[in-house]
Amino acid sequence: MADSDLSDNEPTTRTLLRHVLDTEAPRTPRRRQSTRAGVQRAQPESPFSMRLRSQTKTTPRRQSHRARSIGRLAPHIQTKGQLKEQTPRTLLENILLTAPESSMVMPESVVKPVPAPQMVQLSSRESSPGSPDLQLPELNPPTAMAPSLLTSGKRKKRLRLSEFQQGMDQGLPLSQEPVTEPPANTGASSLTSSLNLTFATPLLPQSVQRPGLSRRPPPRRAVDVDIFLQDLQDTSVATALPGDRTPVATLPTDTVLEDTQPFSQPLIGRSPSVHHSLPHPSLSAERTVSRRTRSSGPGLQNNSPEKPAQLLAGKAEKVDALAMGFPNTSNGTSAEDELKPLLDRDGEEVEEIMEESMSLDEVKEAAGAQASARAEEPEAHMEVTEAEGAWGAIEAKEPERSSRDKDAEGRTARPELASSAPDIPQARQLEFLEPAPSTSTAGLSAEPLSARLPTRVRTAGPRLRQDPYKMGLSHYAKLFSFYAKMPMEKKALEMVEKCLDKYFQRLCDDLDVFAAHAGRKTVRLEDLELLMRRQGLVTDRVSLHVLVEQHLPLEYRQLLIPCAFSGNTVFPAQ
Amino acid sequence: MEEEREGAEEQQGLFYRQRLKAAVHYTVGCLCEEVASDQEVQLSKQTIAAISEVTFRQCESFAKDLEMFARHAKRSTINTEDVKLLARRSNSLLKYITEKSEEITRTNAERKTKKKKKSEDENKDSLEPAEAGRGGNEN
Repeated sequence: MADSDLSDNEPTTRTLLRHVLDTEAPRTPRRRQSTRAGVQRAQPESPFSMRLRSQTKTTPRRQSHRARSIGRLAPHIQTKGQLKEQTPRTLLENILLTAPESSMVMPESVVKPVPAPQMVQLSSRESSPGSPDLQLPELNPPTAMAPSLLTSGKRKKRLRLSEFQQGMDQGLPLSQEPVTEPPANTGASSLTSSLNLTFATPLLPQSVQRPGLSRRPPPRRAVDVDIFLQDLQDTSVATALPGDRTPVATLPTDTVLEDTQPFSQPLIGRSPSVHHSLPHPSLSAERTVSRRTRSSGPGLQNNSPEKPAQLLAGKAEKVDALAMGFPNTSNGTSAEDELKPLLDRDGEEVEEIMEESMSLDEVKEAAGAQASARAEEPEAHMEVTEAEGAWGAIEAKEPERSSRDKDAEGRTARPELASSAPDIPQARQLEFLEPAPSTSTAGLSAEPLSARLPTRVRTAGPRLRQDPYKMGLSHYAKLFSFYAKMPMEKKALEMVEKCLDKYFQRLCDDLDVFAAHAGRKTVRLEDLELLMRRQGLVTDRVSLHVLVEQHLPLEYRQLLIPCAFSGNTVFPAQ
Repeated sequence: MEEEREGAEEQQGLFYRQRLKAAVHYTVGCLCEEVASDQEVQLSKQTIAAISEVTFRQCESFAKDLEMFARHAKRSTINTEDVKLLARRSNSLLKYITEKSEEITRTNAERKTKKKKKSEDENKDSLEPAEAGRGGNEN
């Protein structure tokens, strides 16, 4: 119900309606009779009628601000005189009577704000800042909200709502108009208790502290670290996460946690990055995650949006600690468990963040020697990032992730990281809520990243120097033990390796002999086919091509089986 | 008509096959008797039958492999090379076969040289009188 919403909070509409009903004299003598009809009509068309009533009611009203506010709501909808008869007042009354006194705000948010005089709060709510348009979209929420709120005492609720409103006003960067109608508020408040109508404004607790952030993108300000740090200290609790972010906990941790890493670093000293990274992490993270899903790193996507929010709310030191610990944890594939508490941290105390960061550090240590190498890099990266700016932060994250991926899989992740690194800074610089489509690499970020990659190679964990032949055999032996479905002795595995060795030797000798038999020096496909025929894999019924189609991936099949392509060509050429 | 022909052919093939099997069985039986008398061990009939069956199937496999090898070498005739390739698995057998093949080639070569000499002599003899005759004629 997008009805009148001067304040993003619950029943602004209700209060307004009440006010209207109270202050304005009844116009239609037929009000009583139409009450019944109005009641019947009220429910079905309440959403629309609400707007109409308010509009029709307010237009003739002298209360300019209310009229203005309501008028803004549906400027295009002109008052319909026909419905006025019974409807405006009667409908309003019915609605007010039937609407439950409930605030769409979450119960927690209601409790949070400090108690304040009811009058002031009500008035402030009504006067609500001159941004009804912005609030409108936010107030289009599902009507079903907080049934628990209904149960609480109406008076209490009112107080909480007002408190909430006050808290919002405090956090709001916008300047709010002073109280203008105390008497109206009191009159309205008297009726609120009886209201059952719920005006859906499902604002989340986080928005209490930073309603501006939740309602609209933060203003694009120039980078100012000092101001940012100041804000960090001023704001008390982590907030400013839009509603869609909060259900982060429900997201699968794997995919969610993936990309917070790139942003945890920058949050240390990056005020702009924090601001911009709020919406970006999810978007850019998704891209990077998709790219890096192959690398099978733990999902950090969820954390990225959370991290910025938390950092915004938390103290600078704790942010640092968290950022320090976070990349390290992300390194370990087992970081999911640690990251889960991070997920739940939304709105929690900052001390908890500290604790978790400590646990993250422990996890980091538990990761092993590699963690130390990684720790060095994050620190170095941090320094560099401080100097470079948002770019550096991303790079720091990238190398860390690369290290993790490397540990998990080897070097395959690095090229992806190099490509993804430039993307993230791009994302940061783009619009707040727009996904970062550009993939053009930024020279600034690419160079330092490439410079770091070689160092990464050196610091990587030493690979076992094994004879590739033996490694292959051991691989087959492992397969053998797997398919045996029984525990196997080491000696048995060794025997298996010996047999496999002889078997493969014989196969290769046969290939050589076959090639020599045909008077050739190089082994060709015909030799292999002859071998397979001798093995019994290729028969008169099953040809080699059939086997290729059955067992080989498409890429190899394209190379082996001649296929006609456009341009009257056949590949591979026969 | 065709089906009958095919059926008859199959029957003939089967009949032929059975005759071959019987021949193999007989040969295997003889060999086994020799081995048994040498080793002073007795071999049951089922054993001989099993050995003969295995031998027969192995011969089939050999034939197919030989044909494959010959085709692999882009020939239409099975050669001693193909046979040697076939016997490479067992070293002793390979040795034996190579020795035998060498012997055969040697004898073939000797025969060829003898034939050549004979034919040359014959040619010379025939040529000389002919030339003499011609020369006489010309003269």
